[in-house]
Amino acid sequence: MDDIEATIIQNKHIVSNYYTLKLRLSKSMGRVLPGQFVMLKIPGNEVFLRRPFSIYAYSNNTLTLMYRVVGKGTEILSKCPKNERTLVLGPLGNAFHIRKTDKYIVVAGGIGIAGVHTLIKRLGKKASIFYGCTNKEELSLINDMLHLNPMVSTLDGSCGFEGNVIALLGGYIESTKGEDRQIFVCGPAGMVRNLQKLIEKDRTPCQALVEERMACGLGLCFGCVIKTIDEKEPYKRACKEGPVFDLWEILL
Amino acid sequence: MGNLTVEFFEKTMRNPVMNASGTLGYGKEIESLWGIETLGAYVTKGLSAEPHHGNPTPRVWEERNGMINSIGLQNIGVDRFFDEYFPYFKKRKTPVIVNFFGFTEEEYLACAAKIKPDPFIVALEMNLSCPNIKKGGISFGKEPGAVFEIVKHVKGVTKIPLVAKLTPEVRNIVEIAQAAHEGGADGLTLINTMPAAVVDVKSRNIPIRGGLSGPILKPIALRAVYECSKAVPIPIIGAGGIMNTEDAISFFMAGARAIQIGTATFVDPYAIPKIIRGIGEYLDAHGCSGIGDIVGIARD
Repeated sequence: MDDIEATIIQNKHIVSNYYTLKLRLSKSMGRVLPGQFVMLKIPGNEVFLRRPFSIYAYSNNTLTLMYRVVGKGTEILSKCPKNERTLVLGPLGNAFHIRKTDKYIVVAGGIGIAGVHTLIKRLGKKASIFYGCTNKEELSLINDMLHLNPMVSTLDGSCGFEGNVIALLGGYIESTKGEDRQIFVCGPAGMVRNLQKLIEKDRTPCQALVEERMACGLGLCFGCVIKTIDEKEPYKRACKEGPVFDLWEILL
Repeated sequence: MGNLTVEFFEKTMRNPVMNASGTLGYGKEIESLWGIETLGAYVTKGLSAEPHHGNPTPRVWEERNGMINSIGLQNIGVDRFFDEYFPYFKKRKTPVIVNFFGFTEEEYLACAAKIKPDPFIVALEMNLSCPNIKKGGISFGKEPGAVFEIVKHVKGVTKIPLVAKLTPEVRNIVEIAQAAHEGGADGLTLINTMPAAVVDVKSRNIPIRGGLSGPILKPIALRAVYECSKAVPIPIIGAGGIMNTEDAISFFMAGARAIQIGTATFVDPYAIPKIIRGIGEYLDAHGCSGIGDIVGIARD
């Protein structure tokens, strides 16, 4: 795997603190699987560790990331102009495993949509999408998937279901009881915990894409671990054994 | 390119560059980027007689010019390492330095005793920054007397050369280096990370306490290498904030016979091969026949 030189071709503000970043890579990253991520060098000298980002889209050496400003690194990134040069390491991590089934359910909250975007593109109309965010404005994050008729919830009730997306999902889970379902989820820990509770009885097959602070992204430092039910070795690396885990194997 | 080969404890290494313990996983993880045989020696992740789970997250944090880690010495245990990983290094003809630790003297001895001499084991590297849980949690590496004792006792259970890795958080690191030498240490690694903490002003808490590494550590490490290499005759492995070739060269000039690279690998996973190449180019450009030509030249 090479450290690939990249040029920012677009760094666009979407809404509130969400952005999309388009990068032209100097060479191919190879095959990208849904759920994988990259480690991106933040241009300039202010921060030195790379930052992990889910691959939002990738084709013809053009890599798109969707990100939310959450700290110093992403804040600097949000101010990077077009033509700025940087480095990209990837694709990294495992991937969602898509098993043949009757019903694919994709659940995302907030910036979690970035983690499941390539998966949704792959599943297309076969996926039932549930998306939760704060308000109507943030729904512009899923503008490109409206034709897939996503079910949406907003915390302030300004559009779709008022409340959290797991409450919205509850009805659907009830109405599809008995069907062979497979759930994919990416979002805040609280949301994933609520999902765990919702489907606890049936233990519906579910894969969760998790997020952790990372230093290397390559499995070298053991910094980005997530606790699992494995008693012998509870802490697994989000960058190496993940970022996709079986929901029933992780302890949130 | 000139000859980078060095002799360490009667074993030949391709070059004087190693990874710092815990910054290159169990070794295989770097395989998709560069070959492990690139290294002079692979330093294992810290191993203990029994496996350790490590700490909850956050385990890593970036600070200005430094990084704080609190991995908590997660490891699969020395037995599993030798069963599952060690054959890989032998197959790749890569010398290994086995970093190990304990929370009691018995644990250090138990771990060291489990490691059998092997043509591909250059040395054991003893992490002295661990808290001694039987002595109220004070690190083994803080008092010259305690360092002398534990080094001597570990030497009693192994025939493999022993390198003591010292913590910089001491009153006088030269005194500690001398104690390790008198206890029988065959070499020193200088320095381990520096204990540090972060305050998150927004949430008004302390999200992480752990070991500080990275560029911020370099001058502290250089001073330790300089002072200790004057005071003890055993070889010194320099570590602490080496980010590029020039940093590496400065450690040799201060008196280090080999170096370790840690945090730089997280910034650029190709840092190690780049620095090895850079050292070779430096030696060529300055008409040196080997690294020995520059070891200690800024000091003497």
